[in-house]
Amino acid sequence: MTTGKVLYEVKNVSKNYGSVQALTGVSLKLHAGEVIGLVGDNGAGKSTLVKVLSGAHQPSEGVVELDGEERRWDSPHDALVAGVETLYQDSGLAPHLSVSSNVFLGREKFSKGLLGKLGFLAQKDMDRIAHENLEKVGIAVPQSNRSVSQLSGGQRQAVAIGRAVSWASKVIILDEPTNHLGARQAGEVLAVIQQAKKRGLGVIFISHTLPHVLQVTDRIVVLRLGKIVADAPTSTFDAESLLGTITGLIEK
Amino acid sequence: MSSPVVAPSRIKSLFGNQQFILLLVLFAMVAFFTWRNPVFFSNAVFGNILADWSPVVLIAVGEFFVIVSGGIDLSVGSTIAISGVVSAFSMRALTANHVGQNMTLFLGLLTCVGIGILVGSINALLITKARIVPFIATLTTMGAGAGMAIVLTGGSQIGDGPAKAISLSVPDFGPLSRPGIVIVFIVAILWVIMGKNRFGRYTYAIGSNSFAARAAGINVNRHLAKVYILSSVLAGLAGFYYYLLLSVGAPTSGQGGELQAIAAVVIGGTALAGGTGKLSGTVLGALILTTVTSGLIMINVAANWKQVVVAILIAVAVLIQEFRSTGGTGSGPIRRLLTRNSK
Ligand SMILES: Nc1ncnc2c1ncn2[C@@H]1O[C@H](COP(=O)(O)OP(=O)(O)O)[C@@H](O)[C@H]1O
Ligand SMILES: [Mg+2]
Repeated sequence: MTTGKVLYEVKNVSKNYGSVQALTGVSLKLHAGEVIGLVGDNGAGKSTLVKVLSGAHQPSEGVVELDGEERRWDSPHDALVAGVETLYQDSGLAPHLSVSSNVFLGREKFSKGLLGKLGFLAQKDMDRIAHENLEKVGIAVPQSNRSVSQLSGGQRQAVAIGRAVSWASKVIILDEPTNHLGARQAGEVLAVIQQAKKRGLGVIFISHTLPHVLQVTDRIVVLRLGKIVADAPTSTFDAESLLGTITGLIEK
Repeated sequence: MSSPVVAPSRIKSLFGNQQFILLLVLFAMVAFFTWRNPVFFSNAVFGNILADWSPVVLIAVGEFFVIVSGGIDLSVGSTIAISGVVSAFSMRALTANHVGQNMTLFLGLLTCVGIGILVGSINALLITKARIVPFIATLTTMGAGAGMAIVLTGGSQIGDGPAKAISLSVPDFGPLSRPGIVIVFIVAILWVIMGKNRFGRYTYAIGSNSFAARAAGINVNRHLAKVYILSSVLAGLAGFYYYLLLSVGAPTSGQGGELQAIAAVVIGGTALAGGTGKLSGTVLGALILTTVTSGLIMINVAANWKQVVVAILIAVAVLIQEFRSTGGTGSGPIRRLLTRNSK
């Protein structure tokens, strides 16, 4: 199922917001070509773990290791450069910007020569490449110079996921990417996840929709009140036992 | 791609174009004022309007960058005053020490830019480090700047600078003066930067969704610092412009400038919520503002009516924005502003 090598690892991570203890002693291994489902009730700490993994927050305790090397992300930028892409819950897109401007946000292509050195943008190239890259990961969007605010919720989510998948070189973290999506669109998202896995990326998939989790993941990690209460192959769960583990009715 | 466009939709899209509407408003005003007083349509009056417009467009464009980034800068008016006054003091001292006029003017200009950098840096620190909301942060520097300008001068104007200052602000490029030409040039560069450069792109992105901008690896705080410094430096340049115009540094120069700047931006079709807007709209907004001011004087309307007319223009601009962005979906900027949770 997995191709062996540990890609991304969290060792004994805790995180508190003031007096709120959001994560306690969380350890997790993600392998190349593996899809992990991260599940848990609201407030269990999933988004907090995502922010630690993506460099948006520093852990209060513990370390993260990428390719066996301890890393300290001072900002999301550090993690992006290292190949860790994240799709945050609640919009990682700038709605007023175009699709391609969003795809290239923070990684703009510049004009040739002096103008490029002065920060002038090669917008046509970006429009074209954004379109190609999104198509490559299986996402058909309208013209990439359309503003994101003109897209439907599903299309926006597709663009956000497409951006993350096309830039990721190692790890991709998706925080509730199928939220607010219809069945068909959610199916497309799951297909994109499968594709990322085939490319050898490590994927962390967070969702409340348990059938999706059971369908697309290799392993499931259950968080409850900031602690990992289960970490086992997906084949050992069914819908009922998974729900029981999340709510605490079943101790694993 | 290039399917033939039917006439009605072309007209509709023309009217959906804020710049086009603004030009119509401007022409209508010129026509109205000329009808009421034919003298209005003259090089001299246009020269006056452009002389008023030059400093206003500087601070309005600075305000535009700030507002697009999702903030507000209330300190631009008092930065005009404090930079003009401090630079007037230094030019008076240099003149008393027989430093050449060109050198003196150059050092006076540098002083204005320096004060701008200083005020902008203070704004940036308050906003990005002390995490004070821009409205309050720049309200603080606005009060401090205006107060210091009065204290330093005792309320009087500071003259005795280089004699040739006044000669620089006569219109010798058609209706524009030499400083006016420089200002047009600066605005043109900023227009290109806003539309084609990464600096503009990041400004829009941060105003549109600062969390997304940060997640994309943009150093949001550093960029915002640059935006506020830009705004204050442009205000400093406006301070120098007023010095040239009046040949004195006056602590009252720039009074109410922040409202003029914000009004120009809003009339120009930029949403106060940030993330969107066109710089060309702001340029036209500033021109409409200064045209109204001159025009009302020319047709002998009491000066206080100006405020009313400006208020109406702002209201109409906001209504047009609401109408255009709603497009039947019921989610215009006013509603979004009211229902917006945190950025
Ligand atoms: N920025 C924050 N400040 C304070 N508390 C927070 C913050 N973010 C999350 N929390 C708290 O941390 C806990 C975990 O939240 P979160 O990671 O968002 O959980 P989940 O994504 O699993 O719903 C919750 O109790 C939540 O209220
Ligand atoms: Mg969450």
